[in-house]
Amino acid sequence: MNKADIIETINGFLVEEFEVDRDTISPEANLKDTLGLDSLDYVDLVVTIEANFGVKLGEADFVGIATFQNFYDLIENKIKVKENA
Amino acid sequence: MKCALVTGGSRGIGSAICQKLAEESNYHILINYQSNKEAAEKTLQEVVNKGATGEIIQFNVSNAEEVTTALSNWQEKNPEAIVEVIVNNAGITKDGLFMWMTQDDWSNVVNTSLNGFFNVTNFFIQKMLRNKYGRIVNMASVSGVKGTAGQTNYSAAKGAIVAATKALAQEVAKRNITVNAVAPGFIRTDMTGSLDENELIKLVPVNRFGEAEEVADLVSFLVSKKAGYITGEVININGGIYS
Repeated sequence: MNKADIIETINGFLVEEFEVDRDTISPEANLKDTLGLDSLDYVDLVVTIEANFGVKLGEADFVGIATFQNFYDLIENKIKVKENA
Repeated sequence: MKCALVTGGSRGIGSAICQKLAEESNYHILINYQSNKEAAEKTLQEVVNKGATGEIIQFNVSNAEEVTTALSNWQEKNPEAIVEVIVNNAGITKDGLFMWMTQDDWSNVVNTSLNGFFNVTNFFIQKMLRNKYGRIVNMASVSGVKGTAGQTNYSAAKGAIVAATKALAQEVAKRNITVNAVAPGFIRTDMTGSLDENELIKLVPVNRFGEAEEVADLVSFLVSKKAGYITGEVININGGIYS
């Protein structure tokens, strides 16, 4: 799966899961504010990412994640680590 | 398949809870046991006799790795199953005066009653949050709210369960998950079998030991949809011995 596919998959389920307009999602947009995430909502991200990509996210992974681009990069790295394991 | 997991479900209060949920709910009952398979199978038979479905599942709640392995294997075999109810009932006592208490007697009691709560509940909590519904009932004890001489280890573990119940209840309430504790006093089970009942009932205003079924009735209510506005509570069921 290349990066464009990863981004497309992530955006697809974010739109569905968090009921946001796809136009509000851009690489520079703030992930938390755009999706309206509260602290418990991160569980939805964690579970959906695991279901779609088979990678686990922990609390520490979200440190420094502000924008969608940060999030795409995080998932891409996690997938690479998993594939190289 | 919606499920209710009862840890330490093979005997005593745990068995009574499994049977009560079989009568009063539509849950598939997961009966956890540590070593007494025969008792667990007997409880399962009672569950089936009451028209419900269920299964036994072996793990030691105090062993995090064992819990994760057993529950992961079960979840893999039952990918559609949703555990909506967790009753953290497994507990042990190792009574004795604190001045003689060994490190093992302290650790074993804390590991089972307190860490067991963590190991089992933590395994399911993300799924429960995702499911936006859940009922968690933790078995505390009168020892955990008033303290009992000769049970410093058990009192400490159960007191910690009370605090954990209140904290977790606040964390997850927004997602329709309630977390409550039940604090029984003297209940007639194997655990209290060695106690001098005739002597001890003098301490109990109701003038008798409680029955496991009475605790099960309370748990059954707390895990029902009717109890959705009760969370973070510790409900004493002790015949008036302490309030």
